[in-house]
Parts: sequence; C-alpha cells; structure tokens
Amino acid sequence: MIRSLLIGLSLFAMLMPWQARAELVIEITGGSEAALPIAVVPFGYEGFAASEDISAIVRNDLERSGRFAPLPQQDLISTPHEKSEINFKDWRLLRSEGLLVGKVSSVDGQTYQVQFQLFDVYKAQQLVGKRYQVPASGLRRVAHQIADQVYQALTGEQGVFSTRLAFVSVLKNADGSRRYALQISDSDGANPRTVLQSKQPILSPNWSPEGERLSYVSFENGKAEIFIQEMRSGKRTALATFKGLNSAPSWSPDGRKLAMTLSKGGNPEIYVMDIATKALTRVTHSSQSIDTEAVWMPNGHELVFTSDRGGRPQIYKVPATGGRAERLTFEGRYNASPDISADGRYLTMMHALKGKFYIAVQDLETGAVNVLTERGKDESPSFAPNGRLILYATEQNGKGILAAVSVDGNFHQRLGETGIDVREPAWSPIRK
Amino acid sequence: MKKQWIENIIAGSYAVALHIILVVLLFMGFDSASETVVMPAAVDIVQATVIDEQQVLDDISDRKDRIEEQKTAETARLEAIKQKEAEAKAEKEKAALEREKEKLRIEQEKQRKLDQERENKIAEQKKRDEEVKRKVEAEKARLAEEKRQVEEKKAAELKKQKEQEAQKQKAEEAKKLKAEKDRKAAEEKKRQAAEKQRLADEEKRKKAEADRLLQESLATEEREREERRISGVVNQHMGMIRQRIKRYWSEPGNATKGMQCTLRVSLLPGGDVRQVTVVKSSGNAIFDRTAESAVYKAAPWPQPSDPKAAAALRDFTFVFNPK
Repeated sequence: MIRSLLIGLSLFAMLMPWQARAELVIEITGGSEAALPIAVVPFGYEGFAASEDISAIVRNDLERSGRFAPLPQQDLISTPHEKSEINFKDWRLLRSEGLLVGKVSSVDGQTYQVQFQLFDVYKAQQLVGKRYQVPASGLRRVAHQIADQVYQALTGEQGVFSTRLAFVSVLKNADGSRRYALQISDSDGANPRTVLQSKQPILSPNWSPEGERLSYVSFENGKAEIFIQEMRSGKRTALATFKGLNSAPSWSPDGRKLAMTLSKGGNPEIYVMDIATKALTRVTHSSQSIDTEAVWMPNGHELVFTSDRGGRPQIYKVPATGGRAERLTFEGRYNASPDISADGRYLTMMHALKGKFYIAVQDLETGAVNVLTERGKDESPSFAPNGRLILYATEQNGKGILAAVSVDGNFHQRLGETGIDVREPAWSPIRK
Repeated sequence: MKKQWIENIIAGSYAVALHIILVVLLFMGFDSASETVVMPAAVDIVQATVIDEQQVLDDISDRKDRIEEQKTAETARLEAIKQKEAEAKAEKEKAALEREKEKLRIEQEKQRKLDQERENKIAEQKKRDEEVKRKVEAEKARLAEEKRQVEEKKAAELKKQKEQEAQKQKAEEAKKLKAEKDRKAAEEKKRQAAEKQRLADEEKRKKAEADRLLQESLATEEREREERRISGVVNQHMGMIRQRIKRYWSEPGNATKGMQCTLRVSLLPGGDVRQVTVVKSSGNAIFDRTAESAVYKAAPWPQPSDPKAAAALRDFTFVFNPK
C-alpha cells in the first residue's frame, strides 16, 4: 500500500515537468488547399411552388467556384430550415465549414420571400443571414446573391456569382446561313439573353467597369467598327468607324476612355479614345508590326497589348499616353490576347505550344508562367472580377464552348448550354 | 828609511824570540790540545740524543770550549808554519847550539823523565776523565733512551687512547645511526600502516559513493527514460495534431502575409475540444474563425494510449500563419 503510494508520488513527480510546461505550442503555416466542405440543406418551400431550386443553384455556384465542396445530399443528417431546428452537435460530426439553411415562401405565386442563414456549427453561431422579397423572375438572381454571401462569409473574398458573362453565339438559320448573337448570361452560363443579332460577325465584347455597357466590334457595315451598347436601354453608338480596321476595344478602369486598334494610318496601331469627345491619342508607332488587343492595367495608366514587333506575337506593356513599350512575355514563341487580373498581379494570355493554343497565366511579380488548360484549342481568356477564375473559349465536337479554370489550374469547368457554338467570352465586373 | 829598516830588524828580533816561546808553548799546547781534537765526534753522538734542557746548555758550553780550543789549535798551526821558517834560520846556529844541545839533552833526558811521569799522570788522568766522560755519556744515553721510551710509551698510549676514543665515537655514532634508522623505520612502518588504513577507508568511501551514484543514476536514468518516452509520445502526437489541424484548416483566400492568429485550446479526455479562445486575433475575422473551425474539425484529436502522455496533451497554443 505504502509502496504503491510511493510509486504514485514518484509518477506524479515525473509528470511535473510536463505540467509545469503550461501549454504546448504548435505553429501552423498555410492551411489546406482542398475545397471547403459545406452543408447546403435544401431550402424549405411554403405556399406556391417556386420555379427555381434556390439551394441547388447556390450549391452549384459554390462548387463551380472551385473553393467549396458541398456535402452530398445523402450525407445530410437532417433538413433544418432555421436555427431552432439545428442540432449543432450532429452537424459538427460532418466537419463542414458552414451550414446553410433557408426557406422560400409565396402566398400568391407572384412575390416570393426568400431567407437564408449560414451557421458556424462549432460555435453554433450565425455567420450571415438575409431575407429577400422578389418576383419569380428574380429567384435565380437571389440564389446567386446568396451564393455570393456564403462565399464571402467563408472565404473573405467577394463572390462573383452575381456577375454576368458576355459572349458571341453563332447560330445557324434553317437555310444554313449563319447569324451572330451577342449574348449575356448569368455567371454560370445559364439564362442567356441576346442583346444584338447580326448576319455579320460580332467580335470582342468588352464590359464597361460599372457593368452596364458593352463595347464590341461589328461587321454589320461591311467592315470592323466599334460600337457601345447600353444593357438596360439597348441604346447603341458607333464609336469608331475609321477607315480600315476598328477593333479590340477595351474600357479604361474609369469608364471614360476606350483603348482600341485602328489601322486608319495604314498599319494597325493602339489608340486611346476619349468616349465623350471621341478624341484619339495614338499610343504605338511601330509601322512594321501589328499592335492590337490592348487592355488596361488596373492603375489606368498603362496598356498591355499584343505585338509582333519582335517577329512573333508577344505581350508588351506601354504607357496609355504612349511611350516605350516593355516586353512582358518571354516564355514560348506565341503569346497573345492578354487580360490582367483586377489586382494587377496576373496576366492571362493565349499561349501557343507546338501549334496548339492554351490558356496560360503569368505572375507579373515573379515572371512565373503556368499553363492552365489542356485541350489546345483555347482562346480569349478573361479574368473573373475576383481574379480566381479565368473564363475562356474552347472547342468541343467542332463547336465553340465556354469554360473556366481556376488561376492555379486545379479546377476546370464547362459553362453554358450545350449545342450552341459560342466564342469571345468576357466576364463582367461586379455590379456596384 | 834606515831607521825603519833598523826598526824592522829590531822588530824581527823580537818576533824571533816570541816565536821561540810560542813554539815551546805550542808543543806543550799541542799535546794537551790533541786530547780534545777528537771531541767533535763525541759531541755529535751527544747532540743526537740531547733533549734535556740542562744537557743542551752543558753541551753548548762544551762546544764553546771546543771552539776556543780549535781556535787555539789553528793559531798554533799558523805559528808552526812560521816556526818552520824560523828553524831554517836556526840551522845556521845549529853547531853553536849542538853543545847547548848536549847540555840540553841531558837536561832534556831529565826533563823527559819528568815529562814521562807527568805524561803518565796525564794519561791516567785522561783515562779517568774518559771513564767519567763515558759514564756520563752512558748515563746521558740511558736517560735519553728512557725518555725516548717514555715518549714512545706516551705516544703509544696517546695513540691507543685516541684509537679507543675514535672507536668509541664510531660505536656511538653507529649506535646513534642505528637508533635513528630504527626510529625512522618505525615511523615509516607506522606511516605506511596509516596510509594503508587511509586508502582502505578511501576505497570503502569511494565504493559507497559509487554505489550511491549508481543507484542515483539508475533512478535518474529510469526517470529520464520515462520522461523521454513520454516526451517522444507527446512529440509524435504534436506532429500528428499539427498535421491534422493543418489539413482541416481552410485558410481564407484574403489572408495576407503577416496575419497571425493565436488560439489557446484545451482538450477533454478523449481528444474532444473543451474550449478554444482567441488569444491574439489576426485582425481578420474569417481568418480567426477558420483557425477555430480547424481546431474543432480536427476533433477528436489523436490521443496516445499512454495515460501520462495523454495527460500531457491537454493544453495547447496554436499559431496560425498564412501560406
């Protein structure tokens, strides 16, 4: 008895050093790259049935972003619609980063009440919750907004689900002739609306910074001319109809100017036009080469463009008021169609390898180039406004389709409806 | 000049007369002197033995006499030489003298008889003297011998005494030396015994110390082994926990360099989270929340089966840094 007591005491003494060390310190640098698990519980419906499955849209949005891994429906242990119905202890076992619940109700089938709540199951706290009242036609938009809210609450970044895509669809008439449609859709490619139709090609749609206007190139008058069109009113203006080529418009970050390629002097050069006064500033002066596809740096003072002044197309940077151009791309023999991320850090471009075209991204700080796509028929890259995804056009079964890839190249997805030949996509900015 | 010559003749006359007297005297003297001529030899013998003070003094006086005699003899010798010269002169007067001589011969015979008597007397006297002298010499020699013997004896005794003393001293020294040696040996023996004892004690003490140390080190080793074991298990689980939390941490996309969230986490037995406290916010609510969620999502945390190690894995501090 005494012996065992002594042993016990000595064991206690042995543990003293550990107990004296109050806490063990563990340093963690960098978390998981894996997508965030999230539980999206199907919303409850009351009264008139809704035309849209809001929770499904949200779930798809989150999944498509590449940042979330929604739990499979069959894994959800219950279907709560509000806090009082949630047993947090059970949900903790699923180790989801968040739990989204909500409900939709309508008394007349015209106006719908939509509410959602996002919970931190570990702390049993609501992270974000909102209530909307919308007409039936607004249900999809509400779903995208909810996805944006969830995205922002859990990642800290602005969601881009409520943004839109602009692209050109090539449609075939019954007689076999083609017509071109400038279309805009939701960010998931769904719900496409045609804003312009033409028997002649339409090219290079480009969103104004506030997301209310599009500039594009139309051949409706037999040659490439630049137009501006307001989305709400449909009002359009022919902005550049100079002799020769009028192409590749790009809106300045302040929305007042448009960079474009004009060959009115005989050789395609970059110009900047003041939209209000139509005053032109010539930016490039290389008569022996083609300079085109200018886009603005977020600072609004510089342009990035494609030029073959070095013999082959490469990306250059030049002050928007003109000056000496600086070559940005050195990897590969062909780089064209540049776009710059909203933070100015990344350059995406069409990158040719052995006669095939891929989407690549270049870190402008380190110069590192990462080829993101694999098909080899990829073109017209355009950054999502949060810089996380790159929208581009590719080809499948002889038809143009829209696709997106995450900037790290890990997450690929196809957008839009099948069976339509689409090209020249442009991702809208986040509407202010 | 003439006067001087005359004076010389006169002087010569005188000298001749004188010489004659002297010659007579000489002959007489020679006889008496001949007795003493042999003296130096006797003196030599005496000299060799005289040690006594008085004897020495006597001897010295004798010598003086002898020297005087010698001197006289010498003078006589010189006179004899002169005499011979005079005799040559006297030859001329020989005839005249012959008669005188006969007369003288008778006289001389008478005288010779007288002389013979006297000579006999002198010889007797001389014999007696010599006897006395011999006796004296013998006595002297005896005394000297006696003295020598005494001296020898004395010297021998002295020598013997000295030898005895030396021997005695030597013996004493040897004795002393031996005593010292014995004393030292005893001391050495004593010292050695003490040293031996001391060494034995030291050995004993060392052994006891070594035993004690061995026991202590065994105990320490056991304790350290136990601590190391626990420490090993704890460290292993720290690594597992770190990996698990990292895996469950969904770092927000808007995290920026320098953001840092420090959490204090305590666990329940079994590895479930008891409490999470944000000790230091990153300044980004989503960053903090994802860190907290990671801690919860990782539960139950890996727990060692060893209860001691498990008990050591109860309180943690997590520092979350962006990639």
